[in-house]
Amino acid sequence: MSHGFHVKNETARKVSSDTFFRVFSVSVEKLLKLTVLALILLFILYPMICIFMRSLYVEDGIGFSNYAEVFFKYKENFLNSITVGISTALLCTFLSVCTALFVYTRTGKFKTALMAVILISMVAPPFVSSLAYIQLYGRRGWITYRLLGLSLNPYNAVGVVLMQSISFVPMNALFLLGILSKIDTSGIKAAQDLGARPGNILKDVVLPMMRPGIYVTLLLSFVRSLADFGTPVIIGGRFSTIASEIYLKIVGYSDLEAASTMNMFILVPSVAFFFLYRRLMNATGIMTDSQRTSTEPFSLKLGKCGLFGFTVVSAAALFFIVMALQYICIFASGFMKRKGGGYIFTTEYLHELLKYDLSTMTRSVIYALIVAVLGTFIAILFAYFTEWRRLKGRSFFDCLVTIPYMIPGTCFGIGYILAFNHKPFALTGTGIIVIANMIFKQLPTSTKLCAAAVSQIPRAQEAAVRDLGGSSLSVLKDVILPGLRPAFFGSFSYNFSTAMTTAGAVIFLINPGKKLAVFKLFDAVYSGEYAVASLISMLIIVIVLAVEGIVYLLSWKEKENVS
Amino acid sequence: MYLEVKGLKKCFGEKKIVDDLSFSLDKGQLMCILGSSGCGKTTTLNMIGGFLKKDSGSIVLDGEEISEKEPEERPVTTVFQSYALFPHMTVLENVTYGLKFKGIKKEKAKELGYKYLEMTGMTEYADVRIQRLSGGQQQRVALARALVIEPKLCLLDEPFSNLDAALREKLRFELKRLQRDLKMTMIFVTHDQEEAMILSDKMAIMEQGVFVQCDTPKAIYDAPASDFVRDFLKLDRIIFKEDGSILKRISE
Amino acid sequence: MKKRFFAGLLAAMMALSAAGCSGSTEETTAAATETEESTAVQSEAESSEAENPEASSNDEAEVPELSGTMKVVATSEDYVTLFDKFTEETGVDVELLSMSSGEVLSKLRAEGGTPSADLWFGGGIDAFMSAKDDGLLEQVTFDAAEDLAPEYKDADGYWYSKGITIVGFLVNEALTGELGIETPASWTDLLDESYQGEIVMSNPAVSGTNYAVVNALLQTMGEEEGWNYFEQLNNNIAYYGKRGSDPLNKVTSDEFAIGISYIDRGVEATIEGSDIAIVYPEDGIPWVPEGVAVFKNAENVEAAKYFVEWLFSSDDNLRMLAEIDKKDGIKLIKPSIEGIELGYDTAILMKEDLSLFGSGREAVLEKFETLMGDKAEE
Repeated sequence: MSHGFHVKNETARKVSSDTFFRVFSVSVEKLLKLTVLALILLFILYPMICIFMRSLYVEDGIGFSNYAEVFFKYKENFLNSITVGISTALLCTFLSVCTALFVYTRTGKFKTALMAVILISMVAPPFVSSLAYIQLYGRRGWITYRLLGLSLNPYNAVGVVLMQSISFVPMNALFLLGILSKIDTSGIKAAQDLGARPGNILKDVVLPMMRPGIYVTLLLSFVRSLADFGTPVIIGGRFSTIASEIYLKIVGYSDLEAASTMNMFILVPSVAFFFLYRRLMNATGIMTDSQRTSTEPFSLKLGKCGLFGFTVVSAAALFFIVMALQYICIFASGFMKRKGGGYIFTTEYLHELLKYDLSTMTRSVIYALIVAVLGTFIAILFAYFTEWRRLKGRSFFDCLVTIPYMIPGTCFGIGYILAFNHKPFALTGTGIIVIANMIFKQLPTSTKLCAAAVSQIPRAQEAAVRDLGGSSLSVLKDVILPGLRPAFFGSFSYNFSTAMTTAGAVIFLINPGKKLAVFKLFDAVYSGEYAVASLISMLIIVIVLAVEGIVYLLSWKEKENVS
Repeated sequence: MYLEVKGLKKCFGEKKIVDDLSFSLDKGQLMCILGSSGCGKTTTLNMIGGFLKKDSGSIVLDGEEISEKEPEERPVTTVFQSYALFPHMTVLENVTYGLKFKGIKKEKAKELGYKYLEMTGMTEYADVRIQRLSGGQQQRVALARALVIEPKLCLLDEPFSNLDAALREKLRFELKRLQRDLKMTMIFVTHDQEEAMILSDKMAIMEQGVFVQCDTPKAIYDAPASDFVRDFLKLDRIIFKEDGSILKRISE
Repeated sequence: MKKRFFAGLLAAMMALSAAGCSGSTEETTAAATETEESTAVQSEAESSEAENPEASSNDEAEVPELSGTMKVVATSEDYVTLFDKFTEETGVDVELLSMSSGEVLSKLRAEGGTPSADLWFGGGIDAFMSAKDDGLLEQVTFDAAEDLAPEYKDADGYWYSKGITIVGFLVNEALTGELGIETPASWTDLLDESYQGEIVMSNPAVSGTNYAVVNALLQTMGEEEGWNYFEQLNNNIAYYGKRGSDPLNKVTSDEFAIGISYIDRGVEATIEGSDIAIVYPEDGIPWVPEGVAVFKNAENVEAAKYFVEWLFSSDDNLRMLAEIDKKDGIKLIKPSIEGIELGYDTAILMKEDLSLFGSGREAVLEKFETLMGDKAEE
């Protein structure tokens, strides 16, 4: 009797704890969703609204007269932006496709080495890279002038297009390699089997499979070019785009109203392109997500691909040579001193670096780690709610999350001051605002990385978890998170390296006493101490690679432990 | 009756996929739903499993209405056609995964996991990762994972369709033995007539969202409800033993 | 080779007068110390004000109760020793951040009256004038302000000058030799056709010193002739840099032969040992005062206000600043200061009416923009 009673009681308790668990996990998931969406509204939409409001400020109140004024005054710059954007998109996509194809068709150690170069070139320290370009290809550049005897003037639109194209390649090439690694190689085998020559395989099988990826690269490069102010400021000379005019409006005229208005103008083509991007991304999904049977890498002798293969190899070689020269140049600048007409080797600057105050470097690393972890986590959750849970209004949120990618960093920073300098969200002067700015400035890319990975996870796994008694929170924990491990590493690396090297957006948010390493670098460049600047940037590169290496090893080890 | 399905309906847009379906099943019985693709058999299974919301009707399992419950609240498990095993977990972790939601302690769960791995002949693979397994082995893991939590009803969605013929036959008998030993109530969806004839205690032939006939294999054999059933089952080619099991299948 | 290099002038202008440091007398406030016995003053100078409260009785600038942290935006981090001294004497911690004056102004405007820093230290005076007009600065008055030359401070005490920055030409003589062009000696020389496409200057909107060039030349030559000059100069200018350091960077990296740039200790150090010469134009050196101001509504207004008073009231502090800046322009700002002698005749500085700096800025820049724009469209 007592035994029976006991059992009954036990069951009752079990049932109630089950229900409790379910209610609990449903509310946790709801809470997570609301938190992520609230953060996005707060840290992206709200600053954007503040920028928009600022664009309406006119002398006698509120109105749209700034728009007409800016439009007529900067028509030409808009045109310049569009021209540069299209040229950069085309050239950069060409280089990226060639580079990706080249790397994809390599095997073994050589491939690993090439991948390493691409990964290193993702950590492009600002200022110093552009100085290296000028040193190499400027009017008196080592390559153009001293080696080739050319005296080219790079300070024009062509210079802007070339420099943008080269600097966007690493990111794009990685994206395309991701697409390539997912395509079904059985198609390639079938083509080989049917007697297709390597050139035909490239043209008839590989390229068409990459097509959606190529479109996406075109769009991403275009939008990024529109928002890039650094390149035209550094190398544009008399040529200026709308982004560099925005920079001038802020730094030279402190005219926030005009800067905000110009910013809203940039958004128009960018948002239009975003929706195009979404449609194309869906197409990429169809190409790669279908029942694939074989994704093992294949080797293709590009040398046997005729003119087409030759083009691919030359363009890729060009990219890798340019990258190698750039980093050699940065490295050399740290150890070379001008003497008379030539250079001598010196460790003088290295000694200077050793005396250098490392506290800013430590702060940078800490901030970057927080940004990398939190940013990736938010990106994963966002990708989960939009891609997996198909949340209501997802195209709105997806567009919103992409906006920081579309506007110049300086504007995003100004938006943060406008938004967070007063109650109810008084955050200026804190480390939080700097970290938040970095996270949300980089969120567009990290969410795209995670969303792509989420769409790769078989949906049946969710059914399996639910079927076995797991809640949707268990799905997140046991299916989504483990499924996103590679994306986690990608997003972490991207966030970390960008947070270590970004300057444009946070310059207005950094407070005295909370400096970051990149501003030390900036100071060094500003006062003409290139050698020290080179060494600081090398230090940044080394730190970034070391941290990424550790994270990679950890994630790899964990994976091994599971087996 | 242990399982009582009444008036189950599901439409996708204008199209009626499952149309006023009713059937019942005794405890410990295995029922096969046999039909060609698009007949509504997987939809039916998904509604019982909770992955699809029914338009109307009721599903009563062991005296409890379950059709409004979430999948995780139903005492029903599924063996998926794609197995849907978790690639980042080992075999044992996969099998014991569902137990943690039952509040079962780790040690006990491990014990149970091994017990079911033994039943499915997978003990030696307990610590192996899923990717290293062959299709047949993954199948057994999926089965163990669905059975270990001792559901009141286990659903199998064409579980053998990705396997070769010899393996299929082997697993078929293993499944039948396991089901009998555990007295597990099962619904098995397939388009393979032979599989259905061998496994079923009760067999339903489904076409356009309704059961054309639902009875024991022998009864259907003796009195096919229509020419469609006769043709579909290719009954002319099968010879039964006295006890209802198949004696011989005449090849074409 | 560097025959046109005004070596003597440079040395005199830039070098710190070493004599100024030794045996100086504390002149916290000139009026108060005049009657004091010099020995007493001497001893006072040796101990800091904060540690010696009685001593401050003859010092009208009593150290107020200060605490917390003073946040400073400065043009350089070299001032850290000066701020360290301030911390030592007042207990107020100082945090420094370097930012260009244009960035500071934008940040101030965006912050809409709740600034995140307390003190603004250095940067072209035009930005300070704009900030004052926008009501972003705090008024600071103190007795020693009377000793400051009126040309270099705001009449209402919204900003003061901590020194002046002068403008010169940076000439890459390796390059001029290669190109076969003469090193220019004056503003008029720059119009020579041979310099076409070899001169870089910064957009006056982003560079306070290059804004001073435009304003000073306009004032010296008169509006009409001045604009005429810039129109001609425009033909020789390769481009207008969007960063203040562009002329320096482009000349040192051999990209362009001539840069119109601010000249300071940092520039000197950079070009040391290279073929780059500094030229001070014969027909006048444009200059711009470097401002000091306190932000209105700042968190630690009191400390920042006291810093301004502390700096200008003590010649020791000013001498320390002059040493850091390696400039003796402070003598112009506070003529009564001892131990610093102006190494040059003020006559070589261009006549500039600073009151026209702020008021005319928008009109001047707009006109300049059209001038630059015309070239771009060609």
